[in-house]
Amino acid sequence: MSTQATAPSPTAGGASADGEPSLARRVLRTLVAAPEAGVITACVAVFIIFTLWSHGHTFASAANLQGIGLDLAQVGVLAVGEALVILTGGVDLSVGALAGLAAIIVAWLNVNAQLPAAVAILLTLIGTTLVGLWHGFTVTKLKVPPFVITLVTYTTAIGLALAITTGTPITNVSPLFNNVSVAHFVGSQMLTAPFLIFVIVVVVLWFFLERTYVGRQIYASGGNAEAARLAGIPVARRVTTVYMISGLLAGVVGVLVVGRMNVADPSVASTGWELQAIAAAVIGGVSMFGGEGRMIGIAAGALLLEFITNGLASVNFNVYSRNVIIGLVLGLAVLADRLRARYFGRGRG
Amino acid sequence: MTNLEEPRGRAVLARLRGVRKTYGDTTVLDLPELDIYAGQVLGVVGENGAGKSTLMGTLSGSVHRDAAGEIQIGGHALASGAPQESQRLGVALVSQEFPLVSQLSVAENLLLGRKPRTSKRRVLTDRRAMTAESEELLTDIGLPAGTVNVRQKVKTVPVPTRQLIEIAKAWGRRPRLLILDEPTSSLGPVEADLVLDLARRHAADGGAVLFIGHRLDEVRDVSDRIIVLRNGRLVADFTREEATEARLINAMVGIEVLSAEPAPYRGGGEVLSVSGLTADGLGPVDLRVHAGEIVGVAGLMGSGRSRLVHTIAGAQPSTGGRMAMNGKGYHPHSPEDGTKNGITLIPEDRKLQSLITFRPISENVTMGLLRQLSGHGLIGPGNVRENGQRITAPVHVVMRSVDQPIGALSGGNQQRAIFGRAFAAGPKLLLLDEPTRGVDVGAKAEIYELIEQAAGTGMAVLCVSSELEELLRLCHRIVVLRGGQISAEFDRADATKEKVMTAAASGVTGGPAGAIAASGTASDDGGNR
Repeated sequence: MSTQATAPSPTAGGASADGEPSLARRVLRTLVAAPEAGVITACVAVFIIFTLWSHGHTFASAANLQGIGLDLAQVGVLAVGEALVILTGGVDLSVGALAGLAAIIVAWLNVNAQLPAAVAILLTLIGTTLVGLWHGFTVTKLKVPPFVITLVTYTTAIGLALAITTGTPITNVSPLFNNVSVAHFVGSQMLTAPFLIFVIVVVVLWFFLERTYVGRQIYASGGNAEAARLAGIPVARRVTTVYMISGLLAGVVGVLVVGRMNVADPSVASTGWELQAIAAAVIGGVSMFGGEGRMIGIAAGALLLEFITNGLASVNFNVYSRNVIIGLVLGLAVLADRLRARYFGRGRG
Repeated sequence: MTNLEEPRGRAVLARLRGVRKTYGDTTVLDLPELDIYAGQVLGVVGENGAGKSTLMGTLSGSVHRDAAGEIQIGGHALASGAPQESQRLGVALVSQEFPLVSQLSVAENLLLGRKPRTSKRRVLTDRRAMTAESEELLTDIGLPAGTVNVRQKVKTVPVPTRQLIEIAKAWGRRPRLLILDEPTSSLGPVEADLVLDLARRHAADGGAVLFIGHRLDEVRDVSDRIIVLRNGRLVADFTREEATEARLINAMVGIEVLSAEPAPYRGGGEVLSVSGLTADGLGPVDLRVHAGEIVGVAGLMGSGRSRLVHTIAGAQPSTGGRMAMNGKGYHPHSPEDGTKNGITLIPEDRKLQSLITFRPISENVTMGLLRQLSGHGLIGPGNVRENGQRITAPVHVVMRSVDQPIGALSGGNQQRAIFGRAFAAGPKLLLLDEPTRGVDVGAKAEIYELIEQAAGTGMAVLCVSSELEELLRLCHRIVVLRGGQISAEFDRADATKEKVMTAAASGVTGGPAGAIAASGTASDDGGNR
């Protein structure tokens, strides 16, 4: 530095020296640039660990994998909608309760109101999407914090599910529900219809986020809403859209739940799926501050969470300690997110 | 005062020997020897990244300097990275970002972390003593009594006043060495004078002031001695007489910066026409801007400068009047409507209003253009990257690649990228709000060039600035706002600093008090956040 030229350096302070970085450094840099790589690696590692650990390798058995697929269609689909909301810097606490309420409503429409299953499903999906519209409206126009308005829906939905059923599950739903939920393809038990729905949701929303201008605008709205607005992006419409998608997906999950259990149980509304959905999104690299996170990471986050939940059960891990493990994983994910933010922050003057 | 005489005879308040700060292989500060004398205002200038903030940080203890070397304050050694010790030795720092607790009252902020000196209670807060001491502090720094209600919450106080509160807070610790880091960057001329006065007073009372500034005229005005930093080194040490603007700039950038005249305005069709426009804290305003014309907007803090451009852009609702773009009626409900009608706004605050600092440059420069760049709503895999390169190339953004987070660039480079984005939209009207805030002298000249180029291609430009020199250099015509209305209009030929200043401030009675009260009633920031 003592022989420095007189020309001013445009980026004094943050420039790193050129040269061949070490392997560890390159790996670290890749992980920082693409946090999804870490989650996917963790998925593979966890899968192998539980397969070897479980008695008779039952973790990797077709029956268990089918169960994992069915679970993914619940928490995984909710996580995708949740992640979209988190991308805009919001949060949707209502997804689990709304899915539970959707299950009750679709069964009630089918059984008590005698509507054909298809009509009942359609009405339910429209209903939950409208709830999302309501969330978007209150968040963008009335400036209600997302946490608050979706907490209102959460409480109301759990209450409504109980009120409609007076606590008694609704039975005798149309066989169509069960047919959808257990249908599988190309002779494989693993490729169930619900799992395919999860895959389709992931692929469609990946395309939406990455390859449409509306999707890119959602990222911008989450990254800096004011900058996006001043740049001419209709931020309020974009944010409302994600709440609607989240509501719609909650409805889809509700319908699938009825089919899987062949009954609509009001207690489904309060199983705490929303927290699992948030956890999956965060594990998948979605920043709670908005604007960061990709669909592949979200899907991998949901998968990892499911592997761990299911895996701990298949190795008969102490029932009372399972949540501790999940909590640790979540803690690691949050830590990684902050480290990433610091890495990016370092270059600033 | 005799502070212009030989300084060697004065008491040294802070003695720096061999102070260095390195990050890996990069040296950001390397000062073999620097003495700061009591009774002097020491101006510090340099481009962004020259080491000004690092120097300040080593003194205030917020930066861990390298182990070798020493700092003595009043004869006591100051360890590296010890903010509390530094405070105890009498160093107080007023930083650019205001670390005020916005939910607390002005008084609580002023006495943050300490009790009122007159308080007799040991545990409980003594509200009366707090109020009294806070009011005294504000009067002390030159705010006339009654301009600020100290029981008010800080978040309800306009930004310029917050900066003054921050200064009063540092002042309340009765420092020996007062460090002011660009204290006037968010202030209007009247409030700025108040701060300069305070710095002079502190020096006259035997204290030392380290005054870090962007505006050279201001630094020259207030300082008894000016040092110039470049690439972490002290490259010049001037007395007040030696420090001409040309010398300072030469020392700062190491090259000659030409002060060019803008190309004369040759006349063009009317692009924007505004009549009787009103909005919250603005109007009625009549204004016309023509193709190829650069129109400046001057005015004190709170005069409605930002509001005017925000209202035209559609970012703030208008409450009355008519606007037309290219002769067609224009009634924006959002900035989206503005962009659709060929209006692009470059707002004042890059971090808050323009950029997503943690996202790549490519995404930032394509942000407002995504719809136009898409085909049938779809964005191809390399689209954003390619367009990022295409957009940043003509404005010469210095970067490693468009994948870098834009927050890693210097202020000037960020601003160039934002100009690239604005030009890529192909606007007919370009609205600028403080286009060179927080960029260094070299980059400033380049941004002026960009603005002139834009006008040269037939764009109409409306430019708000609190720096009169900037408007005088750049604009074909200057309108002056006062209390939300246009109080005067000058052609380039007959605009002078004095005339513009008078038009901006006259009618605001009582000097500083009046101006601050005015900014209190209509904060430029309040309307847009």
